[in-house]
Amino acid sequence: MKIVVGEGSCGIAAGAAKVYSAIEALLGSSEAMLTVTGCIGMCFLEPIVDIYDGDELKKRLVKVQPDDAEKIIAYVNGDEKAVDGIEISDDDKQFLEKQTRIALRHCGLINPEKIEEYTAQDGYKALEKVLNTMTPEEVIEEIKVSGLAGRGGAGFPTWFKWNAARQSQGEEKYLICNADEGDPGAFMDRAVIESDPHNLIEGMLIGAYAIGAKEAVVYVRAEYPLAIERLKEAIKQAEEKGFLGDNIMNSGFSCKMRIKAGAGAFVCGEETALIESLQGERGMPRLKPPFPAQSGYWYKPSNINNVETFANVSWIILNGGDAFAAMGTEGSKGTKVFALTGKIQKGGLVEIPMGKTLRDVIFDIGGGIKNGKEFKAVQMGGPSGGCIPAELLDTVIDYKALGATGAIMGSGGMVVMDETTCMVSMAQFFLDFTAKESCGKCIHCRIGTKRMLEILNRIVKGEGKEGDIELLEELCYSIKDGALCGLGQTAPNPVLTTIKYFRNEYEAHIKEKKCPARSCPDLLSYSIDPDKCRGCTLCAKKCPADAISGEVKSAHSVDTSKCIKCGSCVSVCRFGAVNVD
Amino acid sequence: MNCSCKKSDLSLIKPVLDEYGDTPGSLITILQHAQDIYGYLPTDVLYCIAERIGASPAKVMGVATFYSQFRLQPVGKYLIMLCQGTACHVNGSQRIEAAITQELGISDGETTDDGLFTLKNVACLGCCSLSPVMMINGETYGSLTPSKTVEILRKLKEEG
Amino acid sequence: MESIKVTINGREIIAEKGQTILQIAENNGIEIPTLCYIDEVKAYGACGLCVVEAENTPKLLRACSSVAFDGMVVKTDTPRVRQARKIALELLLSDHTGDCKGPCSLNCPAGTDCQGYVKLIAEGKFKEAVELVKDRVPLPASIGRVCPHPCETACRRQLVEEPISIAFLKSFAADKDLQSGDKFMPEVAEPSGKTVGIIGGGPAGLTAAYFLAVKGHKVTVYDAMPKMGGMLRYGIPQYRLPKEILDMEISSVAELGVEMKNNVKVGTDITLDEIRSKHDAVIVAVGAWTSSSMGVTGEELDGVFGGIDFLRSVALGQPVDIGKRVAVIGGGNTAMDACRTTVRLNADEVYVIYRRTRAEMPAEKVEIDEAEEEGVVYKFLCNPTEIIGDNGKVKAVKLQKMELGEPDAGGRRRPVPVEGAFETIELDSVIMAIGQKINIGGFEQLELTNRGNISADTSTFRTSMDGVFAVGDATNRGASIAIEAIGEAQKASEVVDGYLNGENVGYKKPYFVEKTVTAEDLADREKCSRAKMPQRSPEERKHDFIEVNLGFTAEQAMNEAKRCLQCGCHDFHECKLIRYANQYDVQPERFFGEKHNCPKEQKLVSIERDQNKCILCNLCVRVCDEEVGKGILGLVGRGFTTVIKPEFDSPDVAAYCKDCQKCVNACPTGALKSL
Repeated sequence: MKIVVGEGSCGIAAGAAKVYSAIEALLGSSEAMLTVTGCIGMCFLEPIVDIYDGDELKKRLVKVQPDDAEKIIAYVNGDEKAVDGIEISDDDKQFLEKQTRIALRHCGLINPEKIEEYTAQDGYKALEKVLNTMTPEEVIEEIKVSGLAGRGGAGFPTWFKWNAARQSQGEEKYLICNADEGDPGAFMDRAVIESDPHNLIEGMLIGAYAIGAKEAVVYVRAEYPLAIERLKEAIKQAEEKGFLGDNIMNSGFSCKMRIKAGAGAFVCGEETALIESLQGERGMPRLKPPFPAQSGYWYKPSNINNVETFANVSWIILNGGDAFAAMGTEGSKGTKVFALTGKIQKGGLVEIPMGKTLRDVIFDIGGGIKNGKEFKAVQMGGPSGGCIPAELLDTVIDYKALGATGAIMGSGGMVVMDETTCMVSMAQFFLDFTAKESCGKCIHCRIGTKRMLEILNRIVKGEGKEGDIELLEELCYSIKDGALCGLGQTAPNPVLTTIKYFRNEYEAHIKEKKCPARSCPDLLSYSIDPDKCRGCTLCAKKCPADAISGEVKSAHSVDTSKCIKCGSCVSVCRFGAVNVD
Repeated sequence: MNCSCKKSDLSLIKPVLDEYGDTPGSLITILQHAQDIYGYLPTDVLYCIAERIGASPAKVMGVATFYSQFRLQPVGKYLIMLCQGTACHVNGSQRIEAAITQELGISDGETTDDGLFTLKNVACLGCCSLSPVMMINGETYGSLTPSKTVEILRKLKEEG
Repeated sequence: MESIKVTINGREIIAEKGQTILQIAENNGIEIPTLCYIDEVKAYGACGLCVVEAENTPKLLRACSSVAFDGMVVKTDTPRVRQARKIALELLLSDHTGDCKGPCSLNCPAGTDCQGYVKLIAEGKFKEAVELVKDRVPLPASIGRVCPHPCETACRRQLVEEPISIAFLKSFAADKDLQSGDKFMPEVAEPSGKTVGIIGGGPAGLTAAYFLAVKGHKVTVYDAMPKMGGMLRYGIPQYRLPKEILDMEISSVAELGVEMKNNVKVGTDITLDEIRSKHDAVIVAVGAWTSSSMGVTGEELDGVFGGIDFLRSVALGQPVDIGKRVAVIGGGNTAMDACRTTVRLNADEVYVIYRRTRAEMPAEKVEIDEAEEEGVVYKFLCNPTEIIGDNGKVKAVKLQKMELGEPDAGGRRRPVPVEGAFETIELDSVIMAIGQKINIGGFEQLELTNRGNISADTSTFRTSMDGVFAVGDATNRGASIAIEAIGEAQKASEVVDGYLNGENVGYKKPYFVEKTVTAEDLADREKCSRAKMPQRSPEERKHDFIEVNLGFTAEQAMNEAKRCLQCGCHDFHECKLIRYANQYDVQPERFFGEKHNCPKEQKLVSIERDQNKCILCNLCVRVCDEEVGKGILGLVGRGFTTVIKPEFDSPDVAAYCKDCQKCVNACPTGALKSL
């Protein structure tokens, strides 16, 4: 028997490492083997422990606590019923069963720190095939047939970029992987690197071969220490096995690979800013043209793709571009990974073929909204994307169809919101993000996003003025037109989509000084209904600001000067005595 | 520019400079190492780096102030990294921030007078399913509520 | 070199392959604005002003970096392009703190470049100073003497101690010029063949005449009085403005070829239609020459005079019987002129009766003080309710005692009667100096405002009659100060010039960046008190009409001028930002929010840096880096909070800076200044 603990960042944060230690402590009393895997993508069930008998998955245990270690050991020692209470439900199994996994196909199944486990799953076979049987042009053609498009958000055809870099003059070329996953609410790339780093390496090597690069760089967010660690280890192992370095598999093709850790700047997701950062400069976007395919890293021809893009490459080579293109819609082929979060029942990583609807992802796979609330909107594409309302839930997942809503496919962040989420505050949140992350180079973004944020700030404070919506719209269109890079050009999207679909919420804040979602603290006041309050003191105990006082068994009251409007009292009161106006 | 070697022990950064000093484009890497060593980026260390890699101090300063990872001031004993990712925002990170501010009297980027806590809002920590989340000195605290947050902080305060 | 064909704004242009759109446009005289591009360094793309539209390209292109290709079709001035530029400028200006012009100049109704001429005076360049003044005010020696100087009211030097003596500096320089024997005369344009008739030879009429004559138009001024000068001659007493000075300045106007016709009163001697038919354009600048009455009983009595009527009679040398005991009603400058004139006509007892207190008097403080020095007695908080007569002649005036109540809309406390409190003083005459109105006689065919003044468009100065314009006291809001009329006349001259050239463009107030300064901001300035104007003693001067002020010496004037804080931006005339701002008609107020508030100017060897005017075009950084190879300056921070700093703000930088000033020359705004 093999006990496998899911140790992605998310699992570790949920306590997987403690579970691992607890099992390890008791392991001596069994014959079982203990190992780890990456993230399987069922975040809502972490920590997860799988028990295998050979290759067969016998049990999948969820929300495992260190105390459960004894049950697990009991199970592997033959007590069939020991883990009944912590086994995954049939319903939750559907979460994975309804998915089609290509980029994530090894995630949560293999030990990311062991190259043998990757090679056991056809790992590096695609590279072998490419090096032994295909010309770079044939590789590019295969990718063209597959219809693979950039998964970082913009959806630019991958073959086109590869071909441009291939065609570019120059001996020295670079292949760069953009793992600066900056969208706050997306973690697909992290999961791939943490769980299946060799898949990324293999995809990159194929890309490097295709464009003629002898050096590849992975630019990873500094906030992903585990991903960096595992990728480092994977690069080392690949070098040892001869998949990386000089004369790979005796093909005559050589390629080095290294990691460069970012230092915290969202704008570095923009390819020219990323290049500046790689060169040790401030991550400020360059003027385009020239494009990186002509003049990129160290002003040499360079190609940059996102992690998920590379994660599809080896599959395409092994299974054929046609097989990939068979999935999806007319304009969007293959699958797409989404990080499903927010007010969702089952949050996690979802990979589905293009052409499914948002409803499929959110309700069929994600199980709908938490706590019986109403679905209000889904935010896609993070700070560059937009909010899609309930009436558009049947929109299919396709670059064009999503673009038509005003949102974008994006890198895969999918944040679900319910009736208690204020859409103006959402727009403010994203603008706060982009304004802070603006590099400061161009006027439209540097000052424009700041001014938009100031207007949104005053609206959520109840200080909005007549004409503010129109002023925002004017700024939005001008910033889209005038900003230098993608960050600025897309920064208005969250505002434009929320104005488009939820204009009434903006108006309510401005005209009536009310937040319809009852979320904006400045527009709320808390009080306790003395008729309903039983004096149980629970709210007073839970209040982090010591703003509630009262004697036991008599009505309590809120000191509004101390109240920080955190809502703790509302959530603990069993008598519905706390009024929020 | 001569290193004004007044305060920091510059010998600590030497191995890093030996390793990366001659590789073009390594400034960010060097700064990351320097911050690991000193806990922040002291001015004299920045001068020293500039001199070694042959860049103008103005450029080094420009890079050090561009990226949010770098600090030019020391941080408190406990570095509270409060996740401001979208999922955390939707699940109430504002309220957590209000509770921290109320409890410790510090806002984003500030350190308490006793030097115990520094609050830093960070972009997504990637634990969206546990939102709202904060990380204190590497330890993740998930599914926070304002009162739970205050309890955690008070406990750390007691530990000193 | 291979050549390509590019179409810009419909014009086919042959250009070299590899050139950017910006270069091609520049070479062909097509202006594309840019703040961050200069030829010496690489294109950077920050300002986004150079955006243009290209056919079949959905996005706007930055002309500075977009290399043109054969057959490219570019438009540089579409509404979309203009909007993007306008917003960029507005955003920049929403975070741009400075003073394009000093408050003195901004508060001058004529927009005189006070700071500029004060600086020239400080440098001893008196003639140049006059030349600069005459760019706006053709009668500086006269105006310098009589102007209530809104410039000084706004002068920031008073936050240190007292304002600069701007008005007297002006008359000082103008006097010097008049005495020099080589007075400044403007260049006159080639004759245009157009003629303009100006009705009224006061400050407004003379100003319009001056500027229109300079533009080459044939100007005739018609005036009802025996001599030109209007209120400057007939309303301002000789002891303040010697008429010899005024005569000299009027001659300067006449020397430009302006024809002066006196004793011609419209409505009596000639009609408006006749004048209109003789000229291509007419400007009505007849002023407001009728004293307002108070509406109390006894106003018809012998010995009751209107304030300006009284002054006019004295100026004309007509005998005025005021007796020995005189009361002047009112608290304005006309009241001061009247009472001080009365003193000089040897009255024994002169009272000024005013409803409020000294603090509320609208007259110049210096006038109030000087009148008192000359023996005038103020009776504050009194309001005449009746002029009591005897045999049809003034005998006394009955005064209602007042007290100050709540402030009115204008912020002045309203006087209210104290019930039952009255006082009667025995008098020989009463001068009512409480305001003036226009006499509309002769201009009835023009549309009037509901106040009975001539209605003129505030931007085009047009009246209801085609080709007839109107300015000054006779229009809209009624009587005001001379410099106000001069300002209007100068603007109207531009508009009328345009009209004569077939254009229909009104005056538009230019956009200027302004900032607020407090005493704290100036706390580091050394105190240096205002030069006192040398005067004749009250005892001496009260008996005659010789000018009270003796004038500054050159040394006094230069020292006084050196006190100027030079508030306005040194770069105003070269600043690209303000030039574009006005070209694109900006309204940055709508975006006002947080601004950079950096510490005051920092010095870098002999360069002064003002971060609050920096637009982050990064040119200084790039020039120092790419062109000079020094890299002393750098960007610090990110996003909105980014600033440009020399390395670590280190004082050691001085040793490394070549002081080549290339950064200063590259700066498109006034953020960098050579010391």
